[in-house]
Amino acid sequence: MTTKSVLGEVRQVQLAVELIELGARLQFLEAEVGLSRERLIRLYKELKGVSPPKGLLPFSTDWYMTWLANIHSSMFYNMYRFMLHEANEPGLQAMIKAYRLYTEQIEAHGGEIVLDFTRAYTMVRFFDSDMLQLSPCSRCGGHFVAHAHDHKHDYVCVLCRPPSRAGKARGTKRGDEPVKASSMPATPILAVHSALGGNGVH
Amino acid sequence: MDIDGGVNNGDISKEIGDINLAYMLLAQKLAKQDRAAAMYRLGVGRELADLLANMSLTQIVKLATSNFLLCSFRLDDHPMFAVFGEGKDTSLQQAHMSILMAARQLQPRDTDALA
Repeated sequence: MTTKSVLGEVRQVQLAVELIELGARLQFLEAEVGLSRERLIRLYKELKGVSPPKGLLPFSTDWYMTWLANIHSSMFYNMYRFMLHEANEPGLQAMIKAYRLYTEQIEAHGGEIVLDFTRAYTMVRFFDSDMLQLSPCSRCGGHFVAHAHDHKHDYVCVLCRPPSRAGKARGTKRGDEPVKASSMPATPILAVHSALGGNGVH
Repeated sequence: MDIDGGVNNGDISKEIGDINLAYMLLAQKLAKQDRAAAMYRLGVGRELADLLANMSLTQIVKLATSNFLLCSFRLDDHPMFAVFGEGKDTSLQQAHMSILMAARQLQPRDTDALA
């Protein structure tokens, strides 16, 4: 997209700033913002003080299925769907507004943002390409992120039936490693992973 | 305690008026700030959100001084209450709530689309 008008370019810069502040990666910016790669990189450096991270975007749908990630993903995706279908916001604005609401709600309870912007964006792409779907919980009626074409007849969501050890790693009941637990955000998810693995045996 | 007493009824009317005014002012602020987010938070449609944003202060004050509440109860079905009955931690309950709330408002539209 070539934006000839000054105003149009200002808007693109504003959009880029907004997206960078939300934590968007360079790949995403290049796809969504009508500015050159060089300008985007300069903007990124000015805002964040560091070069944009290199490397691939996350590519696995499995991440969205682990306990805590599934809760956060479902929260975001329901908000996104609302923004898209109820509020009739165009795709990118729906993303931004839903992501704002999501982070706001998590931060209000002092929680940790499990779903970063890149994961959120990738998830939307997975939904668009029919790799993920929303499955209704047979107990609470809420819609949760699930693998596409995974039609379980009486699906119960991760909140109505949490895995037995879900979230326990967070509580740090054993007093010997509280520092470690708080400095390693990935710990609960890993713990839940192993708990889920253990559940599959019987 | 005489519930039917005139004084109490006056108090109740005043309390309702206060809540109405606070509610309307907040609703308008949200609607002016960002319509889409206001629709999500208030659970109202696009037309109502626009209407709220464009109301004058006089209109708001007039509307607020009625003796019935202007906002209605949003948790009107069983699963919503069940969520809070469980011994989960607050942030999980809030997460569960928001998933249910967002999906609920989409449901009528889904059935419309099917019809």
